[in-house]
Amino acid sequence: MADMSQTPGGQDPVALFERHRAQLIRDRMTANLLLLALFIGFLAWSIWIADFMPDRLASGVPRIFEYFGSVMPSFDTDVLFDGRNAEGKFPPGSIGFWYNDFWKYITLIWETILMALTATLLGTGLAVVLSFLAARNTTPAGWVGTIARRFLEFCRGVPEILFALVLVFWVGIGPLAGVLAITIHAAGALGKLFSEVVENASMRPVDGMKAVGGSWFEQMRYGILPQVLPNFTSYALWRFEINVRASAVVGFVGAGGIGTELSHTISFYSDDRVTAVLLLVVLLVTAIDLLSERARHSLIGKEALK
Amino acid sequence: MLEFKGLTKQFRDNVAVKPATLTIPDGQMVGIIGRSGAGKSTLLRMINRLNEPSGGQMLFDGRDITALKGRDLRQWRNECAMVFQQFNLVGRLDVLTNVMSGRLFHHGFVTSMAGMFSAKERAFAIRALDRLGMAHTALQQTDTLSGGQMQRVAIARALVQEPRIMLADEPIASLDPLNAKVVMDALRAINQEDGLTVICNLHTLDTARQYCDRVIGMQDGVIVFDGTAKELTDKAAREIYGAEAEEAFSEAMTSTSLRPGDKPAAEAPRVVN
Amino acid sequence: MSTLNFAAISQADIDAARKRHPKAFGDPLVTTLKAASWAFVVVYLAWSLGFFEIGKLLNNADRAVQLLSRMVVWQDMATWQYANIYKGIAQTIAMAFVGTMLGTLFALGLAFLAARNTMPVGVIRHAVRRLLDVFRGIDQIVWGLVFVRAVGLGPLAGVLAIWISDMGNLAKLYSEAIENIDRKQVEGVRATGADTGRIIRYGYLPQILPVFISLSLYSFESSTRSATILGLVGAGGIGMIIIERFRAGLFDQVAFVVLNVLVVIAIIDWGSGLIRKRFIGERGH
Repeated sequence: MADMSQTPGGQDPVALFERHRAQLIRDRMTANLLLLALFIGFLAWSIWIADFMPDRLASGVPRIFEYFGSVMPSFDTDVLFDGRNAEGKFPPGSIGFWYNDFWKYITLIWETILMALTATLLGTGLAVVLSFLAARNTTPAGWVGTIARRFLEFCRGVPEILFALVLVFWVGIGPLAGVLAITIHAAGALGKLFSEVVENASMRPVDGMKAVGGSWFEQMRYGILPQVLPNFTSYALWRFEINVRASAVVGFVGAGGIGTELSHTISFYSDDRVTAVLLLVVLLVTAIDLLSERARHSLIGKEALK
Repeated sequence: MLEFKGLTKQFRDNVAVKPATLTIPDGQMVGIIGRSGAGKSTLLRMINRLNEPSGGQMLFDGRDITALKGRDLRQWRNECAMVFQQFNLVGRLDVLTNVMSGRLFHHGFVTSMAGMFSAKERAFAIRALDRLGMAHTALQQTDTLSGGQMQRVAIARALVQEPRIMLADEPIASLDPLNAKVVMDALRAINQEDGLTVICNLHTLDTARQYCDRVIGMQDGVIVFDGTAKELTDKAAREIYGAEAEEAFSEAMTSTSLRPGDKPAAEAPRVVN
Repeated sequence: MSTLNFAAISQADIDAARKRHPKAFGDPLVTTLKAASWAFVVVYLAWSLGFFEIGKLLNNADRAVQLLSRMVVWQDMATWQYANIYKGIAQTIAMAFVGTMLGTLFALGLAFLAARNTMPVGVIRHAVRRLLDVFRGIDQIVWGLVFVRAVGLGPLAGVLAIWISDMGNLAKLYSEAIENIDRKQVEGVRATGADTGRIIRYGYLPQILPVFISLSLYSFESSTRSATILGLVGAGGIGMIIIERFRAGLFDQVAFVVLNVLVVIAIIDWGSGLIRKRFIGERGH
């Protein structure tokens, strides 16, 4: 049976296999090496352009630790929970001293939440309208769809803080600029997502509504909206989480909320006030995330039960 | 009276409906038969302008339907109700709202957007559902119903439009034989009791023969037969169906071997009044 | 003669229908609740817009017109210092890349400490997770400002900000990927008598590597977007040029820069889509 091991070409199959394998490995190695070289080249270029040099790091890194050391609160166990003293001040080392401006922060955090809520409601409303105009299957006319899609791309392409910068110039320093900036960006981001949901909706109910003599609005309201509403709600809740984060930072350019205080504190002080306000922001963001996650889950749960 | 004068429909490179000229008097029950792709659906959907005709004219009581626009067009669509093969109901709304949506043409912008329906509309919708034996499902979410039930809801929605003409695009193609009979019986009852013109696309020959006063046969976009059910001989039918003849005949054997007005099926529609 | 006539529906008919199907006429409680919640939304919006002084939008309409017109009319285009602009954009991309690479490296280690199946000690796992929450909970631009205070103005602060927030995000996503792996493959490797290092190399890595690469690629994309604004707080990149020229009232140049940034971001999204298709798609895990 010796000739069983011979291929018709008269070659040893083991040798043939080995040769193929070697070729395959060589090809893959070359491609991988090329990619690795590209990757390393890009990394080297990036390190050079970003000025991420050892000397910069050597001088910079110790300063990071120094800075974080200086902004940590220092507690004194003797007076940790002490109230105000005779002069109406908290003793250094107490929590009261650390959170001297607690009520100011709380007011600003409240404002931040309101900004996010208003912006989410307005942005969602705008996004609903724009998504029906932008979705390819529901757009009333081709050119309307194109304009709506370009507009949505612009709104979500420009970061909210840039809109805020411009709007602060327009309406002045204060939360209005922030609300409007976040509204515009959220409308862009949600409008894109919504229009994708609409494009995946069944068009049969729309045909049905058309046949009863429904206008475009009625076709959308009765044919599409009931299908997409659960997804819309879930996306809007998720957007609220993002908007809370955004409204906490638009204050960096003067657009209201806790961000103004945050930026002021970080820029002008390097003591425990920085961690005090940062901690509150982290708590705010985490709490909103948890709440919204729970709301979304109960929403999905309700859907699944139906 | 509905008149077609050389009505045509052309898609990019093929002609779906070649110039069609027809007159359908009021109160007739018309069945359009032909194999799939013969242009039945296109012809039917041109009547309520879900498909735009590419040429020719369509008149209803002397009014030019092909020229209607905007609100006039929507009024015409409201006057000629349509029932679809896939029901085209809004699955996530309840049955009652689906039926009441047949009244939307009479609503203003605000009440229709807010989904506000009057007590009179609700009573009317319940009455329509009742006529099809579906009133007990009024508050169910529509996509929990079976196909046959959905089609009856769709007919109820068509009825609350108080239409002049009822169009039915393959109304029983997605249904089992029993439900098919229930739906066809309902359409026939509407035709006879309300005197509505019913124009119905049917894939199966036997159904057309049993239920329709008049049968129109289409082949490759051309009307090749127009006569009474009796005039539709097997030979004529074979010509209409061509290669699909055996299928059409054998389906006829299974799908609607029940004759209209035989013993009532379990869920046969009740006729109110 | 129609058996169904809307006009003929009398009050008696309505009452009869209501009697048989009382719920079909709307539960007054549900209707009221619905109306009340809509009313609440409307009242809230009206109140909050009043609270935020929406009127300022109209009062300063002339400023908006002035701003927009100066953004659209581009003047003295020869003096716009293009080299500066494109260097800024290049710096932004470089910052994002270095930051994402650093974040990926650190996240690789932290992810194994935060995943339930690779870190049995609950205390350490929870401590690492809370630390990651802090990294993610503080916005990248806030980290930017913090690092500007710590190491001074310039791209180093930006890189560090991207690094820390990417590390937080990626470590969380990586650890979820690790927790979701197929245990049977790991047990197969363990059954051969492999030590811990080999179990990770042959049991875990082949399963999670494609997911990791894909996540890091997404992270690079989103970092390029966010790095464009890090400069607003002085952390390097194109944002610094945007805010400098905005403060100087050179609105036409700001519009030009933003347009350029949008184009560059679109190109990066497109490119990374290609890479994803090539690699992750072909490896097909």
